[in-house]
Amino acid sequence: MSRVFRFRDGRVEVFLDPDHRALLATLLGEVDRMLDDGGGPAPDDDPLVALTGLRLSPEDLVAADDHPVTSPEDPAVARLLPDGNREDPALSEEFRRLTEHGLRTRKRAALRCAREALGGPGTPVRLDLTEAEALVKGLTDVRLVLADRLGVRTDEDAERLHDEVVSARAPDSPRLAFAGLYDVLTWWQESLIEVLATPPSSGHRGHRRPGSRPE
Amino acid sequence: MSVAPVEVERPDVDETAAVDVPWVTVVWNDPVNLMSYVTYVFQTYFGYPRAKAERLMMDVHEKGRAVVSNGSREEMERDTEAMHEYGLWATFQKDR
Repeated sequence: MSRVFRFRDGRVEVFLDPDHRALLATLLGEVDRMLDDGGGPAPDDDPLVALTGLRLSPEDLVAADDHPVTSPEDPAVARLLPDGNREDPALSEEFRRLTEHGLRTRKRAALRCAREALGGPGTPVRLDLTEAEALVKGLTDVRLVLADRLGVRTDEDAERLHDEVVSARAPDSPRLAFAGLYDVLTWWQESLIEVLATPPSSGHRGHRRPGSRPE
Repeated sequence: MSVAPVEVERPDVDETAAVDVPWVTVVWNDPVNLMSYVTYVFQTYFGYPRAKAERLMMDVHEKGRAVVSNGSREEMERDTEAMHEYGLWATFQKDR
């Protein structure tokens, strides 16, 4: 599998085979469920859970409905929805009250958009730029969750994890399987960014922040 | 990274200093986000030229943080939220 993504005729072609697309769709769906603030644990028939016995969302993931202004209990969800201010809890709380619901909603919409786009028939699947951006964001969220579950807190942790994967002869533990998955997702994301950052005849994509301007 | 202040009458510097302090959005280093992705986000969202986006990305990577925008508190809250939507680790605070 040499080429993963390619920019062609204004679209991003995805050369992942159907099994890999299904795996990615499962992960995107899992993170989507984690961001459901009324949500419970993933169902047991989830293919990833069936495969590894591990779930990305712990069973004690509690709905935040009663206290929507506090940081989510699950550290991975808290990383997806971080505090807005490090020094002033009141500012952070207000920020969370004003923005968290919208942020969850938009993240979930992007995750679903990417997931559905990957479900197209045939290979390559062709994404428009909105779908491709949803996928690059979704890959980020999936990798953030996996990294949290794998205990990656520092740049050194990330390097060690990569070394574990490279030096392992066979992924004989769930941890190594997830670490290998993380490595592959990193590679896929890197190649998608490469395509998105340098589209041929780089047309303006039009979701820049209004009012911002280059130096 | 500065915004030229609009020169209007400044009746009392001491009294207005507190409310005139601009706010900033800070992006923090994390072990997950790729250098290419951080650069891509700065270019895509802020519309920064590649060189500036890369310089800010390197500051995040090497110094652990970078101020990526400044303005009113509302604007910085909006930028922080947008960075969170991209999965970057961002906060807003008063400039110092």
